[in-house]
Amino acid sequence: MRLGGDDMVVGVKDTAKLIGISIISCCAVLVCTMFLNFNMDIVSIKEDIVSEQVMIFYDAQVSTAKVVSIVSGGCLLVTSLIMLIFYIKHYIGTHKKELGILKALGYSNFKIAKNFWVFGINVFIGTIIGFCGAFLLMPYFYKLQNEDNILPSISVNFHPILLLCLVVIPTVAFSIFAIFYACYKLKKPVLMLLKDNLQMSTGVHKIKSERNTDSLFIDDLKRSVLKSKKTLVFFIVFSSFCFSAMTQMSASMKDLSSVMMGAMMMMIGLVLACTTLFLAITTVINGNAKTIAMMRVFGYSQKECCKSILGGYRPLAYIGFAIGTVYQYVLLRLMVDIVFKDIEGVPVYKFDFPVMLISLAVFIIFYEIVMYVYSEKIKNISIKEIMLENKY
Amino acid sequence: MIEVKELTKFYGSGENRFQVLKNISLKIEDGDFAVVLGASGSGKSTLLNVISGLERPDSGEIIYDKSNISTLSDNSLVEFRRENIGFIFQQYYLLPNMDVDKNVKMGADLSSNKDYKAIIEAVGLENKLHKYPSELSGGEQQRVSIARALAKRPKVLFLDEPTGALDEQTGRQILDYISKLQNECGFTIIMVTHNLNIAEMANTVIKMNSGKVSEIYTNSTQKTAYEIGW
Ligand SMILES: Nc1ncnc2c1ncn2[C@@H]1O[C@H](COP(=O)(O)OP(=O)(O)O)[C@@H](O)[C@H]1O
Ligand SMILES: [Mg+2]
Repeated sequence: MRLGGDDMVVGVKDTAKLIGISIISCCAVLVCTMFLNFNMDIVSIKEDIVSEQVMIFYDAQVSTAKVVSIVSGGCLLVTSLIMLIFYIKHYIGTHKKELGILKALGYSNFKIAKNFWVFGINVFIGTIIGFCGAFLLMPYFYKLQNEDNILPSISVNFHPILLLCLVVIPTVAFSIFAIFYACYKLKKPVLMLLKDNLQMSTGVHKIKSERNTDSLFIDDLKRSVLKSKKTLVFFIVFSSFCFSAMTQMSASMKDLSSVMMGAMMMMIGLVLACTTLFLAITTVINGNAKTIAMMRVFGYSQKECCKSILGGYRPLAYIGFAIGTVYQYVLLRLMVDIVFKDIEGVPVYKFDFPVMLISLAVFIIFYEIVMYVYSEKIKNISIKEIMLENKY
Repeated sequence: MIEVKELTKFYGSGENRFQVLKNISLKIEDGDFAVVLGASGSGKSTLLNVISGLERPDSGEIIYDKSNISTLSDNSLVEFRRENIGFIFQQYYLLPNMDVDKNVKMGADLSSNKDYKAIIEAVGLENKLHKYPSELSGGEQQRVSIARALAKRPKVLFLDEPTGALDEQTGRQILDYISKLQNECGFTIIMVTHNLNIAEMANTVIKMNSGKVSEIYTNSTQKTAYEIGW
């Protein structure tokens, strides 16, 4: 960080860390563009439809496209918003000292916060890639949607309004949001920013720590790690939720709707699950690097470090999986009972137990591999580097 | 007894490779108060980190009562530190999200020490049990780090400029606590400092100069922290 100048707080290079937002907004826009574009193009053939049978098929296409873009687009939008909030909070948290110095020097909150607009770049990169990607995939998608040639053939058209709504507006909105959120987060006394963890010393926290004085240090640490960053708890639950809901839903989608929809669901689920899980675990490890280093200095084994830093999240991940399973069942039930109500030939939907088991097994393997990879990362945290880092 | 034989250590690689420790040999008896003295950058911290098993030497041996720790695997080295070593650093390195009690417990748990509260009392922090490091002064934070190191009942206590970030008065108080506790518990102390006066508290003084041991001598009488007049 440089003092003075306009790019003193966050620079373009900081946006590299927000790759998660780019990936997620890319997916969101990819899916939404395809379905919304399809919806807009399909309108042009409405007049050509003569038979009632085809009309029903047409209506079904329109409503599934709507459902998919609302469910996936909305879900992804909320995630990127939460991620952005989290990143800004985290950024301010880890750069408290520098930001505090700037404030102490007399920079106003807004002057510091306005640099946070750069986080909008991530949204722009993600959405524009998603938008262009959608147009590459669209010809195949249109063909797949109309596989049986029930509808007259539909041609791909470009709709500027979609570019505006899916790329321009999100970018601008995210940039403005980032500035205002940063401004709000900076509204703290300078001393609060300059001193480490002053906010930790709340009464509630103290009472709780007194209660378990007999527990082991590593269990205390586990609790403290979970408590100190509640957003990460959310991310872990959300990650396994997405994995569970989307993979199971995708299996059912294959039967209910089309292979394409299934694949899309699966892709969204995996992308969301992976990005949020990696984001969360990386933040946990980086945020606790000093603690881990000190534990290793004193002779805590790698296993004990992992158990106390990462172990607390495991039950949460399984809870997320369970919630996801219930969620996808309820959602599909509603969809079949309401959206597809009048359409003939839609197979009856019932809970798919084997699919759940497969999804769970894959999830366990995936989660444990990620944990293993990160425990190796813990092992390689250099004690010396952490110690040198502290000497400013 | 700790025996160090022909220790060398390099940093960097290629063009930038340079030798931080040059053929260092020394012996420290059990219960000694050894001080490593030398200018900034002479390799004191590196020597301390290598002897304590935090870093590996490039060649040479470090022998604790006949067992050579330089040949241990990473896991055994952690195990070795757990059993034997305590650390106190200039920067304290307390865990910021844990209160005083938990910080000390981190050390105590390693040796299943149930009455670590007595050590918190011994360093005079019994009233600050549930304060967080950010709420303590520098001297108090260093006392927490002393309590943390001692609560694990180490056989050897390593201190890297423990008073470096403190004012004289507080520094003296810290040194007083340490030597008092050494008299009670009888562990070995190896302390790095660049303060000549502090060296008078030691019985063995190891002087370092650009990576080499330039002199080793023993004091016949050890001064207390309040006599060293710095
Ligand atoms: N991890 C490292 N990588 C490269 N050089 C280092 C590293 N640690 C220390 N040094 C260098 O080694 C020399 C000795 O450092 P150190 O042992 O910390 O000295 P002292 O504690 O006596 O001040 C210094 O020149 C320092 O810059
Ligand atoms: Mg040093």
